[in-house]
Amino acid sequence: MRLKKIMTDFFLLMALTTNLSFLFGPNPYELVITVIANLTATILKLGEGKILATEMTAASLVADLHLIPAAFVYFLGNIPEAVSLAVGALAANIISVLLSIIEAIFGYLSEE
Amino acid sequence: MPRLSSSRLRALRRRLRLKKRREKTLLEVYQTKLVESLRELRIPLLLLHFSLSVGTLGYMFLSGGNFIDSLYMTVITIGTIGFGEIAEGSETPQGRIFTTFLSLMGIGVFTTSVTVVIRVFLVGDVVNLIRYIRMLSQIEKLKDHAIVCGYNKTSAWLVEALRKRKIDFVVVDAREGALKYVQLHNIKYFVSEEPYKKTALLSAGIKRAKYLVANMEQEAENIAVIVTARLLEPDREKLYIYSTAPTDGSAQKLEELGANKVIVPDKLIANRIFSYMLHEAGGFVSDLFDRIAYGEEAELEIVEIKVSERSALAGKKLKDIDLRRVYGVTVIGIRRSDGSLELTVSGDTQIEEGDVLLLLGRPVNVKKAMNFYREVLT
Repeated sequence: MRLKKIMTDFFLLMALTTNLSFLFGPNPYELVITVIANLTATILKLGEGKILATEMTAASLVADLHLIPAAFVYFLGNIPEAVSLAVGALAANIISVLLSIIEAIFGYLSEE
Repeated sequence: MPRLSSSRLRALRRRLRLKKRREKTLLEVYQTKLVESLRELRIPLLLLHFSLSVGTLGYMFLSGGNFIDSLYMTVITIGTIGFGEIAEGSETPQGRIFTTFLSLMGIGVFTTSVTVVIRVFLVGDVVNLIRYIRMLSQIEKLKDHAIVCGYNKTSAWLVEALRKRKIDFVVVDAREGALKYVQLHNIKYFVSEEPYKKTALLSAGIKRAKYLVANMEQEAENIAVIVTARLLEPDREKLYIYSTAPTDGSAQKLEELGANKVIVPDKLIANRIFSYMLHEAGGFVSDLFDRIAYGEEAELEIVEIKVSERSALAGKKLKDIDLRRVYGVTVIGIRRSDGSLELTVSGDTQIEEGDVLLLLGRPVNVKKAMNFYREVLT
């Protein structure tokens, strides 16, 4: 198995699940872990030149740009705003995971 | 994942393979290279991210969840700023043990990561790649330009002349030595690839170019360039290909392969010397037509107009179009379709299909006459 793919998918899913759980019960640690997982997934995707990989990097960056302000906004006391930003990040994370699944299917089909 | 039937799987794989066949343009290749060069940043960024995450989460646990102070404390610790124990709980024995280990791990990671990031962007290929990509994007916008394949002394003279006439050009050459001179001579657009490669010519904008000069060191390379260029642009009226050859026989062969005109340098020099012999007084006549043709005679210009099938000029007499009175340009001769040159032209001389009219006049007038010809008579 490809270790890098496992790592990237792990962090993508981790970002998605913690993002979702944060929306159901806003918790500071969950938000920080979401940011960390999302940033890790972005860094792991950095430098991938294939079409789907670049789409995933872009989606991941979008999620980062929602979550990092969300973290600051949350700790400055504006929790509803942080939650709404996290909803935006969730959309980008769902797209990331979908692209990852599509990439896996294409990889499976092109394998001998 | 549900299993697909083997025939459907084969069909899908075939379609995937077919899609892979499309050749990438150089711009796409270098854009991919640029993205891939960012891979070098992965490990330093991951290490930095790991240090920041561990530090922030650690101080958050110590301070009871204060994210902003925890992040700030981590940054000033691993960044060797050390303003003090800002985060709550960091002044406790547990907090100091944590800060000690974070500093030991983080300071090295921070300095190494920053060094690597700066090296990738400033010292590495990234800056050069960005410049090259920008240049290739600009080449994509060129139109009616010239492509000069192979950069040597002749090409250097040629690009100088093109510059004078404000004609854009792209030099294509892959040799290290040639590229050194390309930079030395401030060539704005160049493609550092073998000129006989399809991707190189496509990236040089062959589909939109007007001229291509195959000026390689070896005849075989000139053949390869001409053939590749003609495969990409078969229309001889759309892309004019010029080349050089050592003998008349080779020149003829290159013209048959697709070049519009091939020059034999030795023969050209001999003819030129002979023309000076014929005009002993100072070679003024020998040079006059050259100076006019090269645009060095500012007051005069000579151009050729080919009378095509659909041209309204065919069948008319020179006095009918009266270019001298209307535009101030003179038809000084007509090269007939059989190759003969008629210099004793008068108002009654009839223009025929396939003729080439030689027009002489002031550059402004010639330009007006040419525009009229292009817009009205073709």
